[in-house]
Amino acid sequence: MTGLKNCAMSFDEFQNQARLYVIGALEPEELEEFELARKDLGQEAEDFITKCYSMHEAFALSLRPAKSSDVLKDRLMAMVRNRQKS
Amino acid sequence: MPIMALDFSSTTGLPEETAEASNTRLPAAAPILEPGAPTDLELMHGIQAEDPEALSQLYDRYNGIIKALILRVIHNEAEADDLLQEIFMEIWNQAKNFSAQKGKPLGWMVTLARRRAIDGLRKKQAYARAGERLQTETEQQPDAWVHNATEEEITFGDTRLLVRQVIDTLPVAQQEAINLAFFRGMSQREIAAKTNTPLGTVKTRLELGLKKIYDGLKELRDEL
Repeated sequence: MTGLKNCAMSFDEFQNQARLYVIGALEPEELEEFELARKDLGQEAEDFITKCYSMHEAFALSLRPAKSSDVLKDRLMAMVRNRQKS
Repeated sequence: MPIMALDFSSTTGLPEETAEASNTRLPAAAPILEPGAPTDLELMHGIQAEDPEALSQLYDRYNGIIKALILRVIHNEAEADDLLQEIFMEIWNQAKNFSAQKGKPLGWMVTLARRRAIDGLRKKQAYARAGERLQTETEQQPDAWVHNATEEEITFGDTRLLVRQVIDTLPVAQQEAINLAFFRGMSQREIAAKTNTPLGTVKTRLELGLKKIYDGLKELRDEL
């Protein structure tokens, strides 16, 4: 944890903030402080933030899948193919 | 305003009608693929190489989950379908920005879908302050999005159960705070105002709840 030497925020605190950050729940003044700590902590901070994003996946997987029509997919694929042609 | 137990498990936010055993053996946390089926990462590489078939397969695999997420945010079937199509189009267009070093394809898709859905919700709310009305609609539509089990639902059933086991350990107030932040894109101040709770309490609920979920998921991964 080399970045901690010059950082006002402890890594524990940074972890708490990072979990709030990935769900967009940091208030503007916290965000500023968080970004400074993120810069100070470097790669270690980036690695932890990446891990926190796995919560997004988990929240989505906690939902029961919803059904959508085949027409929707056909329309999407037609759009993709048109985009490829143009 | 009374605290409402918001269930992460259903699309509607209403408690599920099926009681699932809590002592189920731990299955794989990742979706189980057919033998020989391409991995999500292989499909993303296919999309990056502009192969429509890769997008088609990724759509088949995840459209239900992404739509459930959108519905959880905007609570409108027709709008959710439109948004679903836009999101998969964006996945196609933005696939070059995906990096496996920064996470899994599903995580990337969910982050993208959530952002789009919350943007959509905010636009909608800018036209009509519909927050309370949407809440009422959610509470009043117990059967609107209930459907028979699909293949996708069965595939992800075990994963959903595991994630729910982690989330269900949280006190209702923590679940509610996380739900409002994640699925409604609310700030701590907005949550405090909506739930008539001191800001500091909201922050504590979010921090404690998210830590428990993070640790629970980590434990789950370590155990498997």
